[in-house]
Amino acid sequence: MSFLVPDTGLLFWMLLAFGIVFFILYKYGFPVIISKIEERKRYIDDSLKKAKEANKRFAAAEHKSNLIIENAREEEARILREAATMRKQIIKEAQDKAESEREKMLLETKRMIQQEREAAMRDIRSQVAELSLSVAETILRDELSDEKRQKEYAERLLDSIDVEKASEK
Amino acid sequence: MISTILLDAAMWASIAKMGAAFAASIVVIGAAWGISRIGSTALESMARQPEAASDLRSGMILSAALIEGVAMFAVVVCFLVLFV
Amino acid sequence: MRCLRYILLVLISLLPFAGMCKESGQGGVDVRSIIFEHVKDSYEWHITAIGDNHISIPLPIIVYSSRTGWECFSSSVFHHQEEYKGFRISTSGDNEGKIVELDSFGNEVRPVLDLSLTKTVVSVFIYSIMLVLIVLYVARWYRRHRIEDGAPKGFVGVMEMLITMVLDDIIKPNVGKNYLKFAPYLLTVFFFIFLSNIMGLLPIFPGGANVTGNIAVTLALALCTFIAVNVFGNKEYYKELFWPDVPSWLKVPVPLMPFIELFGVIVKPFALTIRLFANILAGHTVVLAIVCIIFITMEVDTRIGGAMTFVSVLFTIFMNCLELLVAFIQAFVFTMLSSVFIGLSQPEHKAKKH
Repeated sequence: MSFLVPDTGLLFWMLLAFGIVFFILYKYGFPVIISKIEERKRYIDDSLKKAKEANKRFAAAEHKSNLIIENAREEEARILREAATMRKQIIKEAQDKAESEREKMLLETKRMIQQEREAAMRDIRSQVAELSLSVAETILRDELSDEKRQKEYAERLLDSIDVEKASEK
Repeated sequence: MISTILLDAAMWASIAKMGAAFAASIVVIGAAWGISRIGSTALESMARQPEAASDLRSGMILSAALIEGVAMFAVVVCFLVLFV
Repeated sequence: MRCLRYILLVLISLLPFAGMCKESGQGGVDVRSIIFEHVKDSYEWHITAIGDNHISIPLPIIVYSSRTGWECFSSSVFHHQEEYKGFRISTSGDNEGKIVELDSFGNEVRPVLDLSLTKTVVSVFIYSIMLVLIVLYVARWYRRHRIEDGAPKGFVGVMEMLITMVLDDIIKPNVGKNYLKFAPYLLTVFFFIFLSNIMGLLPIFPGGANVTGNIAVTLALALCTFIAVNVFGNKEYYKELFWPDVPSWLKVPVPLMPFIELFGVIVKPFALTIRLFANILAGHTVVLAIVCIIFITMEVDTRIGGAMTFVSVLFTIFMNCLELLVAFIQAFVFTMLSSVFIGLSQPEHKAKKH
């Protein structure tokens, strides 16, 4: 059967052509393509790994920033609380101080009033003493003339003294 | 005498042709059985283990190729019977 | 679905021409010669016939004969005369369709060397040039682009898909760790067979030649694999070949196991040759036979022939689709078996394996 017997010529040409094709592709064709494909595969793998790492790092950073924000918030709350207590304290202190000051001033005023009153009393007493002296003098003078008149006089004097006293006051 | 011999030869030649056709049909039966076995078992295993599908596929093609190679040898023998 | 309707429309519009076939064909249709004319090699490339004018490309015949030495002439010389410088194309016998000369006894004998550029040789050249151009184009794309530019699109993308498929599915798992050394060879084999198979399915000029369905072509490819297997086989492989780990009575007085192993070494390229050759040959034969059904039935009756045209063209479309699949699968299988054989010739140390 002729087509089951390989032709020498065809075999020769085929080997030659295939050899040349193989040589050219071995030299300039496939190694370039294969190396580029493998390189890209590696590049993609690397990129994926890097992206995963970056993601992880980003997540960590986010976590950290969240932590920091949380801390800051806590700190803020604490400071606010402290400020509030401090304010209260200051207000209380100021109130206390004011209270004590007022009390002190009240006391002072009372003392001054007391003093004033005492002084007034003293004055009144001396005046009363003087008046009573003068009254007594007049009375004595009136009694010397007429007992009845002396009495009236003394009475009148006393009235006037009272009036004077009132006006003086 | 000569005519009977010639007739005989022609008859034998046609019987040989029939034999080649029979041989081809038997070859087809065998190859079909083998390849169907491969196909069914491979599909079954792929359904059971989808993650191993690519390995199974290349194994399937390889064994199908081997069976088909044997069938092709037989076909070539049929050709020889038919034409030589 | 719409596509199918178009096909049917075209077929129906072709029906009136179906009757013409009967008028043009004289006598019986010789299916065998039609098929063999296509399947076998020839000294000219017959493209088509319009009426009685055959359009064909004459190809150079190069022969070395002990009688005349080297001779080179165009095959068109045989159009007008039967014999040229003592050479003729045999019409019968074992050398049918081959160039022969007459020896001193008047028998037809083949010249010593026949290096003619036949149809198959020329198509091998054409496909080789195509393959080189395609792969160099793809390689140029890779050289011009940096990795950061991303994956290629369009044709280069398809080629990259095929290359990565062959690399990852065939070469890497089968060849083993030094796959890079053999990858260019295996890829060349894959694309050469694939391109030849596909081009063989095209019915017009650059395609249509039965390249991978020719036993010399597949034998050459298998020889290349044989060389790759046996030249680059490592020490372990040759030890397994000549001194395998079997009881010594199997190898000392009569080298039984080495003989079997050696037989296997020789059978492997033979199996590769026959498989590819027979597959593609069978594919071409079946497609042509189905096309021939039209002409056979047309001889019986024009109406039956018309109906059969329908069936036959649909069947041919189906067969061509199947052949596309076979073209790919055969390239795949040849590459896979080659890489399996190469992988087997590079066994790692057994201690590592077990």
